[in-house]
Amino acid sequence: MTSLSFEPRVPVFDANVCVGDKRDEPSPCRSRSDLLAEMDARGVGRAVIYHAQTETISPIAGNRRLEDWLGDGGRLIPQWSVLPTADSISQAQTLHAQGRVRCVRLHDTRPAGLPFRPWAYDLLLSWLSEARIPAWISLPDADAHELVTTLQAYPELVTVLVGAHYTHALWVRPLLGALHNAFLESSRYEPIGGVEALCDEFGAERLVYGSWYPRHAMGPNLFYLHHTNLSDADLALVCAGNLERILGREAGHD
Amino acid sequence: MIDGIRVIDFHAHVFRQDSAGMKNDPALMLHAMDSVGVDVACVNHINHPDGATSNDLTVRFVAQHPGRFIGFAYVSPTMPQRIIPELTRAIDELGFAAIKVYSPTTPWALNQPQWDPIYQFADERGLAILFHTGPSPRAQPRYLSEIAPRFPRAKFVAGHSGNTPEERAQAIAAAQAHPNVYLETCSTFYTPGVIEQLVDEAGADRVLFGTDMPLMDPRPQLGKIITAHITDEAKRKVLGDNARRLLGDRTAVPG
Repeated sequence: MTSLSFEPRVPVFDANVCVGDKRDEPSPCRSRSDLLAEMDARGVGRAVIYHAQTETISPIAGNRRLEDWLGDGGRLIPQWSVLPTADSISQAQTLHAQGRVRCVRLHDTRPAGLPFRPWAYDLLLSWLSEARIPAWISLPDADAHELVTTLQAYPELVTVLVGAHYTHALWVRPLLGALHNAFLESSRYEPIGGVEALCDEFGAERLVYGSWYPRHAMGPNLFYLHHTNLSDADLALVCAGNLERILGREAGHD
Repeated sequence: MIDGIRVIDFHAHVFRQDSAGMKNDPALMLHAMDSVGVDVACVNHINHPDGATSNDLTVRFVAQHPGRFIGFAYVSPTMPQRIIPELTRAIDELGFAAIKVYSPTTPWALNQPQWDPIYQFADERGLAILFHTGPSPRAQPRYLSEIAPRFPRAKFVAGHSGNTPEERAQAIAAAQAHPNVYLETCSTFYTPGVIEQLVDEAGADRVLFGTDMPLMDPRPQLGKIITAHITDEAKRKVLGDNARRLLGDRTAVPG
């Protein structure tokens, strides 16, 4: 039953949080403590975070800025951004050798003229696949055909497709059907009945809660997930369990 | 019903747009509404410029689900001769409660004289008009600041509250300046703090819950209100009290 207030009834692990300022847009979330306070207010226990500067400026420089946000306590899980250059792959591999890589985010190279094709991405995607490192990919920045044809060449690579919008309504089902190791992040997936329909067709195991905070508020999508047909067991998977599995973590183990 | 409030969605549709996953399936709509306690949705159909075709589809949909939907009349200035006869039919015969206009599919911005007959009709009847507002040059909410004082008995509702920051500021400024301007909340943008901004800057009496269903599922749209840092009193106003005040007796849908 809906009331005027809301608290999640299952543990929540946010798969998609951006920290830091973009060059043209200061973040409303100014500090690590601000972020933790927002998570506490929304009932979000943990979050995967990446730095805003990695999106449009430099994955390498942005990853260095991400260090400032991590701190102790294990609530904020770093997501390192990467693109298919020697410098970037080297940075990611060094972090991996230190045992600090649980997932990466692919920097969009398409605006710079480099398509998401095997001939351009093979070195990076082969390494991620062999090292069993899951990759987050922004759907608003992607080309559906490139996504499918490229990722099908790396069938062991686990991906999380983030930011699906109603403008991607025709993409989502074919993508999940074609890419058996792809998961859908929920932040803006809002076609009517869409969550139930996806879970009915592909299973709740394929959906992960992400807010894409502070681009989007943490609460509304979480509220939505709590008011669907999902069983509590499936809700727990969507809100945390699937992400824990993707990151290779056991439930409840930081 | 949420906490004793009859929840009214002020912005919903009865057409489909397959490329966006928009399905006008009443079972889907009612399931989503019932999942979160939305009692009534105000629906319109904006795809037929003659108005009558749209309104006939709307009234048929409303009639098939007694007590759950309220019709809003649609007309377009692209067929000006149809405006007054169709509005009269929709309000007096079909029992619609308000008017919906959509300027992006016309050549005219909302402050152009082609829209005046609609505003005049609403003014004479004391009706609400729901506008699509946003960055589109023809749908900027700043136009409401021009037209609202010219038609003081009409109620001007900025759908999406302008949608994006600059246009949201225009919508809020219009509401602050004119007592007959209201702000509706649905948007595909889930920017943190927007509901709080609307309530804090325009007042809780001037904000209306809306969803854009079935383009968007109503549940995350309701989630914006429920998870906002505003008082329970403000939530009650936004979720239903304000809509009831605007629509008056016409919220008493046949059930």
